[in-house]
Amino acid sequence: MGRALLIWRLALGDITRRRRQSALLVAMIAATTATLTLSLALQGVTNDPFARTRAATRGPDVSALFEPGFHGTMGTLAQFAALVRSPGVTASSGPYAVARLELIARGYRVRVHAEGRDRDRAQVDQPLLTAGHWTADGGVVIERGFAEALGVHVGDAILLNGRRFAVRGIALTTAMPISDPLIWLTRSDLLALAGGSEPLWESLNLKLSDPAAASAFADARNPPNAAWFLESWQELRADDSQTIANERQVLGIGAVLLAMIAIAGIAVLVGSRMAEQTRRIGLLKAVGGTPGLLATMLLAENLLLASAATVIGVAAGRVIAPELTAPGNSLLGSAGTAAVSAASVALAAALAFAVAIIATLLPALSGARTSTIRALNDPARPPRRHPWAIGLSSRLPAPGLLALRLIARRPRRTLLGMASLTIAVATVIATLMERHTPVLGVRVAGNILAADKQASLEHVATVLSVILVVVAAINLLFVTWATVLDARRPTALARALGATPNQVSTGLAGAQLVPGALAALFGLPAGLVVFGLTAGNPLNADPPIPLLLAVIPATLIAVAALTAIPARVGARRPVAEVLRSE
Amino acid sequence: MTEPILAGGEPILAARTLSKEYGTASALVRAVDDVSLTVNQGESVAIVGPSGCGKSTLLYLLGGLERPTAGTLALDSQPIHDMPESRLARLRRHAVGFVFQAFHLVDELTALENIELPALLAGASPSAARERARDLLEQVDLSDRAAHLPSALSGGQRQRVAIARALANRPRVVLADEPTGNLDSAATTDVLRLFDQLRTAGQTLVVVTHDSRVAATADRLISMRDGAFVDETRLTGGSARSLTEITGLEA
Amino acid sequence: MAEPNELPTPEPLQGYQLRVVQEVLLALLAGEASHGYQLRARLALALGPLAGALNDGQVYVTLSRLEKSGLVGSQRVGQAERPDRKVYSLTRQGRERVDTWLNDVSWPKPAPAEFHLKLVAAAAAGLADPVGIVDRQRRELLVGLAQAQRAALAEPPRSVAALLLEGVVLRLQADLRWLEACARYWNQARER
Ligand SMILES: Nc1ncnc2c1ncn2[C@@H]1O[C@H](COP(=O)(O)OP(=O)(O)OP(=O)(O)O)[C@@H](O)[C@H]1O
Ligand SMILES: [Mg+2]
Repeated sequence: MGRALLIWRLALGDITRRRRQSALLVAMIAATTATLTLSLALQGVTNDPFARTRAATRGPDVSALFEPGFHGTMGTLAQFAALVRSPGVTASSGPYAVARLELIARGYRVRVHAEGRDRDRAQVDQPLLTAGHWTADGGVVIERGFAEALGVHVGDAILLNGRRFAVRGIALTTAMPISDPLIWLTRSDLLALAGGSEPLWESLNLKLSDPAAASAFADARNPPNAAWFLESWQELRADDSQTIANERQVLGIGAVLLAMIAIAGIAVLVGSRMAEQTRRIGLLKAVGGTPGLLATMLLAENLLLASAATVIGVAAGRVIAPELTAPGNSLLGSAGTAAVSAASVALAAALAFAVAIIATLLPALSGARTSTIRALNDPARPPRRHPWAIGLSSRLPAPGLLALRLIARRPRRTLLGMASLTIAVATVIATLMERHTPVLGVRVAGNILAADKQASLEHVATVLSVILVVVAAINLLFVTWATVLDARRPTALARALGATPNQVSTGLAGAQLVPGALAALFGLPAGLVVFGLTAGNPLNADPPIPLLLAVIPATLIAVAALTAIPARVGARRPVAEVLRSE
Repeated sequence: MTEPILAGGEPILAARTLSKEYGTASALVRAVDDVSLTVNQGESVAIVGPSGCGKSTLLYLLGGLERPTAGTLALDSQPIHDMPESRLARLRRHAVGFVFQAFHLVDELTALENIELPALLAGASPSAARERARDLLEQVDLSDRAAHLPSALSGGQRQRVAIARALANRPRVVLADEPTGNLDSAATTDVLRLFDQLRTAGQTLVVVTHDSRVAATADRLISMRDGAFVDETRLTGGSARSLTEITGLEA
Repeated sequence: MAEPNELPTPEPLQGYQLRVVQEVLLALLAGEASHGYQLRARLALALGPLAGALNDGQVYVTLSRLEKSGLVGSQRVGQAERPDRKVYSLTRQGRERVDTWLNDVSWPKPAPAEFHLKLVAAAAAGLADPVGIVDRQRRELLVGLAQAQRAALAEPPRSVAALLLEGVVLRLQADLRWLEACARYWNQARER
């Protein structure tokens, strides 16, 4: 009992004494768990809303569209309608008249597919109203994803082929065999609008006794040159979830990148704490603590931090998930909300605890191995000596000399900081590329739906790059701070030997700027690679070259701004105090 | 070594009613209390006193590494008590060389590289800095240790490197804080011999110490107690007794 | 020198020194028979700047005293016009005396009792401030230390005399430390 209390007190004391470091460790682990939670949440997105929407709308197993009038196609409307009597069909609706109309609303002019529907409910594919009422003469129902893209609501007025209609309702469907936006009208309104200029199209929805065989059913009835086209529900689902799949891929890669940044940060953090903790273990050993007690204390401390990080990370994941699953708009339910499962929380916690245990084991082992005397006398991490860096730096003016020697002192930390910056720059580059790449090959003028899908992908990429940039910025701040602390003695000494505070702060900032510049240079091609991996059709990209190049100076400015304050503080510490304390 | 310059030249350091306080209100420590001191060109001054009496604080004040709470201080005829930090740093380069009890050598630099550091920081050319460092290493009799890292040097050797480093920019005054505090008797003798050479060469020197052997190499000895000067003794120039008399070995 | 009311001069120091020179001469002769001037030169070398402690005639006076007491024998050699015609050598008795001396472990380290009592008495009688006495003494010893220190540093490396001077310096340093302790004590006593 007394022992547990002692461990608890020691652990809490250590955390409160090192608030900033502890907070950083929590932030790093939390960012990683949040991303993990997010990407796990999106795993469940595709099936769930589609299936639920399909059930609620009695969605078709096979959806068919009759498009007469194209040159060289074969088949009549009667033959099309006869599909209903194919073996295995258990229920059907339609044929419904379909026409391409021009819709104007809120400044958009868009080609839409309009389906003429009866007032009564269909046996198959009865779109599910999420707002307003079903069709009536003079009123139109709009598919939800499209309505949201347009920004129209129930009661708004729109123009269809120049005639005024009121939006009566917003509805969901899983039967969308066409890539244009979908609306529903009464049959009489549709016929009146189509005006006989083009032959009318017709659509048909079928339910099969064996839904699993829908693709085979459709393939068997899709001869080349047929005037109609059948699509199975599996294909419909694939179309619809294409956006989500893209997002998931982006997010998956994002999670990996973020985990890499976070691990780089944690490595710097654990590395810089290790020296101190090895020493602390030596000290406690000297006053009678057993290595076991100390390892337990360290573990308690790190587990405490990891638990806090898990809670924060999972909560953040839950908050952000719906933001990223906006394309679920076209289907029933919001994909992200229900998706943070117990399993993903457990996985995130496992990751956090693994980090905590590693962060405990390293110093505990080295503390146990190091003799008490050595732990107390020797710096656990003697600085590195790189003769080339020292020789080169002596040819530079004072700030350059200090910067290069600081870099050479702790090359591993510099590399880790640089890696995390490179990843952040790469993400920004990839996001910029994404923003300048039309989805689905061509950007059809006025194709709002395509633009909507594009926007949602951009949205994910943007949210991710914001997270990554923030985490990389935290990392950079921390690396700078660790450098400032670690270089306390050499910088105080440099000042006693004649360096001005400005030279020292420029040197400290320079120690980050040089790797920052390299990170910007490496990040550019790395970002293009990341983009190549995530984009569906990278060759269509229209690289905004000036913008991409501007990322390099922007990175340098950001690094300079972020490191300026710690560097300034570090350079203005009272010299005598530092030199006296040793 | 150059010709000795007569003590009593122009003042290098002139402190007037210098005070330094740490902390506030209830926890106020007056580490240096109303101290006035003039150190002339070529003079060597030792400041002794019990632990905690404010010797180091005074030395850091004199070197411009700490700011006085009250009083004025001129270094090389320039008032530095309120000089902006950057200007002070530039003045310090050629005016002051520091020697510390803990040596404070840069661990990852060799003896030679440590010695050339102040010259490089002051903007000297790499070759000039290197040449000066070699001369100094020769002067402290460590030429054969040029490429050694501090960790491969004995305490006495480290301190000699540190003294050489303090001389890199030919400072007007060398300020040493317990230069032999971490050394044994033999290593102390080496360092003392070096200080004695500097003194005879006319180097202005202020040494803070509680080792009376170190203090005895100075021209002037100042005793401190509780932040203030309590006594001053001239160790050279007076009517000295013979050595045999001192040792009680009279025939 | 022999006035009836004069206080006895501090005997131990003088007698001690005489004895040392006797024994040292005997020990030097144990190696080889030597002329008086050779012995004198060796002593001067070993004492370095402290050779002044040796009176010019002291070696010869001591040698003849040793000869009278039968510890040393002598032989006349060489030309008559040289002042040092005698070569001295050790007798058996002299040899025994050297052995006893070499095995003697008594250490000339008088406690600073006299100075200590001076302070106590001055304080008790209220005649003088003990701290003032200590400070004066300290200054005196410091000046001495400075001189001894300089003499030591002026010796060439590996000089045997430097070793003696280091002994002088370290002793003075020890005395100064004790004086610091005295200053602390009497300072506090004054405050009480
Ligand atoms: N940064 C500080 N904050 C508060 N008090 C300080 C600080 N630095 C020094 N002091 C106090 O000032 C007084 C003088 O310290 P200083 O280091 O100058 O003594 P010193 O004579 O050099 O001692 P020593 O011989 O042990 O080195 C001490 O009482 C010390 O506690
Ligand atoms: Mg001190």
